[in-house]
Amino acid sequence: MKKFISLLFIFSVVPNLFAQDDQIPKLSPASVKYREYREAISEPVYGLAKVKALVKKIKADKEENHRMPQGEYDALPFNEKFTYNMIHGEDATQNCDVMMGVVNEEKKIFGYTPDAFGGEVMWSDRQQDFFKNNRAKVIPLVRSTIMLRQRVGVNFKELVTSYNLVELIPDLVKVYNIKKKDHDILTVLMILMKEGNYPEFIKSASYVKLYGENSNYKGNLDATPANQKLIISRAMAFYKTKVK
Amino acid sequence: MIGTIIAYFATAQTPDLITIKSGKYRVGKFDRLDSPTRNVTLKAFQIAKYETTNDQFEAFVKATGYVTDAEKYHNAMVFEPGLKEFRWIRDESAYWRFPNGKSRGGITDKMTHPVTSISFHDGLEYCKWAGFRLPSLNEWEVACRAGTKTEYFFGDDGKLIGKYANIWHGRNHLKPDTTDGFMLTAPVGSFLPNQLGLYDMYGNVFEFCEGKLPSDKKSGKKHSRGGSWWCSPNSCCFFNSVDIGSVSEKASFSNQGFRVAKSLS
Repeated sequence: MKKFISLLFIFSVVPNLFAQDDQIPKLSPASVKYREYREAISEPVYGLAKVKALVKKIKADKEENHRMPQGEYDALPFNEKFTYNMIHGEDATQNCDVMMGVVNEEKKIFGYTPDAFGGEVMWSDRQQDFFKNNRAKVIPLVRSTIMLRQRVGVNFKELVTSYNLVELIPDLVKVYNIKKKDHDILTVLMILMKEGNYPEFIKSASYVKLYGENSNYKGNLDATPANQKLIISRAMAFYKTKVK
Repeated sequence: MIGTIIAYFATAQTPDLITIKSGKYRVGKFDRLDSPTRNVTLKAFQIAKYETTNDQFEAFVKATGYVTDAEKYHNAMVFEPGLKEFRWIRDESAYWRFPNGKSRGGITDKMTHPVTSISFHDGLEYCKWAGFRLPSLNEWEVACRAGTKTEYFFGDDGKLIGKYANIWHGRNHLKPDTTDGFMLTAPVGSFLPNQLGLYDMYGNVFEFCEGKLPSDKKSGKKHSRGGSWWCSPNSCCFFNSVDIGSVSEKASFSNQGFRVAKSLS
């Protein structure tokens, strides 16, 4: 959801950008489309039709949360509970968007990913507990889903970063390399390295630009082949230090 | 001190208003998908010089017995130092009289501060009662820009923001920040105004505006502008003339408020 330019960069570039202020550019359809792509979730296959039907039946409580009745939730087989939790955040949230869509978004690698579920709902305590307490069983399901879909939806990205699923780094790289289109996968890799305090990343120019003292949530890197390659090679090296 | 006194008198029930003439205005920024550079034509309107205060909102509640969404749904989102970036706590006890929850103190000595922990809907209800409305997204921007085309009404040098706005100057929100004298809200009018004499267009509280963005998919999404005391250069740096924030319709945050506007016929 967020991208990175250092403040210094903003202050030095913005006046030049505004030299173009009298021109009213056409919005790039590619940027609009990429924004939608970034915000889309992906769906596990396990009992998907059944789970979707159950979700449809859920009614809002007085706090506008949409929680499946406990008995029904408990009765779901593990894989279907995974599907339910991945496609449906039970609790209403009020998070504000911290980044507006920008032109040429598809050519940038941001420092943060968009919120899962558009920032309007979030995983409830029991859903978070499910992910937290079943890490070893969840990882293979995530792996098989992203490989099958050849896609890492915004919900999966949030799961990976929230629960620090470094075991999935090679899978994320594989999916990224299929189309080299979803630069938020690279963002996920960088967040994992940041959270892991990986020295090779912490001392890099990319880290300084995206997460350093003068960074902000709008910062980004250009999605050049060189940057893509560098992030992936660092992430794979980081992975080797974490997973023996 | 003088600012506080001025602000106190400005919180009388008829707010000071600044008139914006009808005309064609330039808004937006060339790189924004939802708000590209464009010309908009506006009818003449007035907009409050200050954000709506606790004092003013109390008068509304006393006159009408109005119960805010936070009181009904117990869903207000509050802040305390120590939270990670963009994290807020849901506090069932919080509402406009206790913007960050009962355990964190009330507003008895903050009646000239902007009202917070109210929802978009609460803002509309206040406006109806007071004979005003919320400004539109474009009206807010035109009033804020005051004829400027730069990122800020004071130019492009963001380092000057501290003169004009109550914001968060800390690197993160893990420790309290009172660099500018205020950790949370400040009395309205405590910082320098824009060229039209509008105070706190940046910082203090995000201000609800009417209007939709092209990317809005759900009807429940509402928008606000100008950033708040919570916003820092490293996080949500929305204290500018360009950015537009989004919240859900019933969201009540302790950095969310409004200022009133009025059409001129």
